[in-house]
Amino acid sequence: MQYILGVDIGGTFTDFSLLDDVGNISLWKEATTPKNPGEAVQQGIRALAEQTGMELDTFLKRLDLFVHGQTIATNTVIQRNGPKTALLCTEGFRDVIHFRDGFKPERYNIQLPPPEDFVPRYLRIPITERVKYDGTVVQPLDEDSVRTAAAKLRSENVESVAVAFLWSIVNTAHEQRVKAILAEELPDVPVVLSSDVLPMIREWERTTCTILSAYVLPGIARYMVELEEFLHGNAYPHPLLIMQLNGGSSTVNKVLQRPINSLASGPAAAPVAGLYCSERIGMPNVITIDMGGTSFDVSMVTDGSPTLTRELRVHDMPVGVAAVDVHSIGAGGGSIGWIDKGGALQMGPQSAGAEPGPACYDQGGTLPACTDANVVLGYINPDYFLGGRREINTEHSARAVEEHIAKPLGLSVPAAAHGMFRIINNNMVDAIRVVSIERGVDPRNYALVVGGGAGAIHAGMLGRTLGMKKAIIPRYSGVFCSFGMIVSDVRHDYMQAHATNTARFDVAGVNKVVAELERKAMDDMVEEGFPEGEVILSRFADAKYPAQIHELTIPIPSDGELGKASISEMEQTFHDLHERMFTYSVRESPVDLFHWRVVAHRKVDSPATPAFPAAEQSIETAQKATRSVYFGDIDDYRDTNIYDGDLLQRGMSVAGPAVVEQKNTTIVVFPGQKLEVNEYGDFVLDL
Amino acid sequence: MSTIDPVKNIGSQDESIPLLAEENIDPITFSVILNRFSTIAREMTLALEYTSWTSILALARDFSCAIYDAKARQVCMMDALPIHTNSLHVILRSMVKAFEGNVYDGDVIVSNDPYSGNTHVGDFVTACPIFYEGEHRFWAVTKGHQLDCGAYEATSVAPSAKDVWQEALQLPPIKFYEKGEPRQDVINMYLANVRYKELLYGDLKAQLGSIWTGKRRMIELIDEYGPQELDHYVEAILDYADRRTSEEIRNIPDGTYEADSWIDSDGMGNTNLTVHAAVTVEDDRIHVNFAGSSPQGAGGTNGTIGVMEASAGIPILTAIDPEIPHNDGCLRHITCEAPLGSIVSAKYPAATAMATLCPAAQEQEVIWKALAQAVPERTSAGYGGFHCIPSISGVDKRGDEEEGWAAMFFNGGSGGGASKNADGWPLIMLSSGLGGLKIISTEMSELLYPIMMDHHEIETDSMGHGNTMGGAGIRIEVRPYDTPMECHATGDGASNPPFGVFGGTPGIGGGNYRENLDTGHRDYCSSKGYMLIEPGEMWVGVSSGGGGFGDPLERSAEKVCEHVRDEIISFETARDIYGVVMDPVTFKLDEQASIARRALLSEQRGEVPMIQPTQADSATWLQENMREGDNYLLDPLP
Repeated sequence: MQYILGVDIGGTFTDFSLLDDVGNISLWKEATTPKNPGEAVQQGIRALAEQTGMELDTFLKRLDLFVHGQTIATNTVIQRNGPKTALLCTEGFRDVIHFRDGFKPERYNIQLPPPEDFVPRYLRIPITERVKYDGTVVQPLDEDSVRTAAAKLRSENVESVAVAFLWSIVNTAHEQRVKAILAEELPDVPVVLSSDVLPMIREWERTTCTILSAYVLPGIARYMVELEEFLHGNAYPHPLLIMQLNGGSSTVNKVLQRPINSLASGPAAAPVAGLYCSERIGMPNVITIDMGGTSFDVSMVTDGSPTLTRELRVHDMPVGVAAVDVHSIGAGGGSIGWIDKGGALQMGPQSAGAEPGPACYDQGGTLPACTDANVVLGYINPDYFLGGRREINTEHSARAVEEHIAKPLGLSVPAAAHGMFRIINNNMVDAIRVVSIERGVDPRNYALVVGGGAGAIHAGMLGRTLGMKKAIIPRYSGVFCSFGMIVSDVRHDYMQAHATNTARFDVAGVNKVVAELERKAMDDMVEEGFPEGEVILSRFADAKYPAQIHELTIPIPSDGELGKASISEMEQTFHDLHERMFTYSVRESPVDLFHWRVVAHRKVDSPATPAFPAAEQSIETAQKATRSVYFGDIDDYRDTNIYDGDLLQRGMSVAGPAVVEQKNTTIVVFPGQKLEVNEYGDFVLDL
Repeated sequence: MSTIDPVKNIGSQDESIPLLAEENIDPITFSVILNRFSTIAREMTLALEYTSWTSILALARDFSCAIYDAKARQVCMMDALPIHTNSLHVILRSMVKAFEGNVYDGDVIVSNDPYSGNTHVGDFVTACPIFYEGEHRFWAVTKGHQLDCGAYEATSVAPSAKDVWQEALQLPPIKFYEKGEPRQDVINMYLANVRYKELLYGDLKAQLGSIWTGKRRMIELIDEYGPQELDHYVEAILDYADRRTSEEIRNIPDGTYEADSWIDSDGMGNTNLTVHAAVTVEDDRIHVNFAGSSPQGAGGTNGTIGVMEASAGIPILTAIDPEIPHNDGCLRHITCEAPLGSIVSAKYPAATAMATLCPAAQEQEVIWKALAQAVPERTSAGYGGFHCIPSISGVDKRGDEEEGWAAMFFNGGSGGGASKNADGWPLIMLSSGLGGLKIISTEMSELLYPIMMDHHEIETDSMGHGNTMGGAGIRIEVRPYDTPMECHATGDGASNPPFGVFGGTPGIGGGNYRENLDTGHRDYCSSKGYMLIEPGEMWVGVSSGGGGFGDPLERSAEKVCEHVRDEIISFETARDIYGVVMDPVTFKLDEQASIARRALLSEQRGEVPMIQPTQADSATWLQENMREGDNYLLDPLP
């Protein structure tokens, strides 16, 4: 028996998904050990080995794949406990990160302080050098200024260095030379070059990406190397794969070359997990949602590819690289309902958090949270919350809703709770609109896949409001992301700037750039141990109308050399996409092309999935109770069937109104909806 | 949610909140629709930003989008550029009047007419009526600042234009589309009269894409709720903003508060013009009267009704809860007037090309000065007056064909003023924008235009000091390398710098000059005027930081040490203004010496006026920086 393993470190739990080669899945949860996260990982691995009845080294020897999502990088940035980091920049341009893009959010809020510079100004050290937009050197690199800077870095005890010069994307020589000099001067200090991590125009994004990379590098290097040593020391025969923010995985070695990719990587596995569940029932278009205690995450997959963005920000800083477009808003089980000064009901963004938590937790919280509304409405079983691990005080919920919402609005308690439910749903619908409709995508042709948490209580209403047809609640939604990791591809992104235009297309130049990127991509994959035949290369270009400013990334022909036919194909693709996203196109216009991108994928074989047992008994065997539940279609509670999700078998169908309970998930089936268990054991809600 | 005091909103409602339910309004549906309107305005904004062709729209975001009801009342807007959104209704009402009884589904009406209620000729307004079941229900409107408007010189904000015929092609409300069909002849006539017509045609399409996006989403919304039901909720949304605004304004003590601000020049050599305002707070209304302001200027530095309406609102909206939706229900509480023929409200056919920058900045500044007397905690120190943001242009010979290029170059813009709780932000440019404008990255600038930037950094000591300090001013150096660069300065606030309040000091004012790279000779230029920069020369701007708020002797001494270490302020400033003494090498605070120094400075300075400066023409930057042999050019003409 061979296995594949996905491990995802979360805030509370470290999740393990172990899949064997006939498709049986074992799950494990280990309490996260924040001080040394590797501890929980190692403990969990030992526990899984024990569970499968094997010695640790036998178990690890039988692993074909180990994909790991970690939070070291993100936590380092959020907690600001990384190394003392300095920036070397072009002389005269020390304040790129202070000036940002000049934009201030919340225009009328004059009490909003400007963000703190991530690297203070005295550690942003100017280097005498300058390159022009076409790559010519205007001011040669003054090596003395580099050595002077090195002396300052030494005296300030700087532990990590970012180098980001203007136009290093078209001429990397100065950055490369600085790296060589620093290797002599400060051999133990890591140096990250902007031309390595993000060879893309726009110095603010590139500089922040480089700084963040330098900031997280020492921490993740320590952690990943240690974990890999543990694995290899116990006979694991393959490279450790790390989940990246682009939704694919990578070897440790490659991640350390582009540390930025290790940020925000956990949620990046969600769309792949969603796709896995929905593709096998014939729906390649997916919107995944994940509703936790304080936040609601949305991402999207179109035609089998997760939507990526280059606008992702961490700590107010753009990361610049392609990242899975996870849109997050402050809506979760802990979101507090309140009435603003004008008398309008609002939900969040304040959250009751874990302490004191919703009123029903009975930990001193008196404000009504979303969870309280769900308790009042009867969606949550007070005796079986989190599988009975947490006691729920329904009276506290009702009192909180009554005092703070129902009374001031002149509504009954259930109507007020249902109002809270509708408002938070509306906030979540808006978030889904942001990733779909605002990006020119019609969500009605998408499946809604619900990962974990409280999402399945709300999914029926969210999907219905957006006109979607099906919501899928995976049987293992509780370990959604760790599951996503074992079905994600290995992925590397490569890019280079080379300006041309479809009217006078530089055939030779572009083919040379693309060929170089592809060769690099293939070399890297082979070096990581993946055979050439398993690697898929796809090409993209950033396109815009001449003199237009913002680019759209378009797929371009990925077979052979680009020729005449590909030029008109690229134009066509761009016009179509522009029209779809922005209502118009200018078909008579040529198209500017700037960055060329190559994405290398190594497909992971989809694990086998055994058929889920078909129903032999009647649906009544899965019914565990009836309860009064309020659905809002009539202004009253009604007796509603409650089912045990674990007892629902393939082919069983639950007609709404109903509630289906599993240990970690509650599914609300609204009137007019129908829930079925499909051949893979997932719950499919017909909206 | 209110960011002044976020927690107080929760769970602390008193009994006095009028119940939405009493007005037959379902409070839940109400909140849902309120949010949907914001989503629609945001989507219109994204459509415009991502598809426009010129940097002024696509990068700088000098545009705004809003939805109005059929009565031209603002229902929702994206908080984009305050100077646009607070007065977009004025021009829309002129459009409505011009085509009364003649508005059809599929129409697009445009205008840039400053005497029809537009802000200035640079701002181009597109509006489409939204019909549902044959009835006109709403308007989708965008206003975008065009790179060019056909002025006699290559800028859309010509300070030296003498009249409306010099400043632009005037477009009174006119249809570009009727019943879904483009009036191509009319569009062609427009495009024939502006520079860079391919670019402007692209921007026109982007603005149309934006209003059509708004239209599409509004129709979906009406589909969902039905026209009558939606109307009902629109009223409730306006009432809601009205109610919240009333409550906030009632918290401001009644009275009349007066102040003066000064304009460097009118672009034609007349200097230090006054903007005077009397701000009267009465119950839940505020009225601003600009009587007492200087007569109108000789050039393009003149105000319009559109700018006055917007400017009156901006400081007041920053002094009340910023979370109140800025729709008609909110805006109706603020009224204003100015004598016709004054600098605030010029008389036709005076040019007003500069209106959104100047006198807009001074109109806003003077209201903050008045508010300082009424609600000290909620006012702001002064903002930079769009200083060192030239319109630059020339010919690009790098490609196969020579092409004209132009940009409004925001990168060296001035800083924002400090408030009670926050230091100012850099690059706010001016309070008409309040930070809604973006800069073009150095690399993008050098790729798009044949220029090089040699320097772009914080100017040490450029900001006003205080307990909170102004956003930093910037030193920027730009030069052409193979073809000349035309440079139209269109700012203000150099000789009359951003004010400090409650002990805070003013920004430096700053200046700009042309330097010959061989001889080092400099021609200093006033805040408005034209200079040609030849290859071998360089344009240098040193913009002002914003004003400081509160007593500098109360600012955290540790922070002051960090500012010196970071070269944001000098060692001398720390010692003489902040009263902080430190080791000049390690920047370690000398606590005892600082306490003594602060006590001494406090004693020496005596009474400090509430607002500094107290008079016109107070900046000293020019005297301090001009060297022997340098020239000074006041409002140089092309």
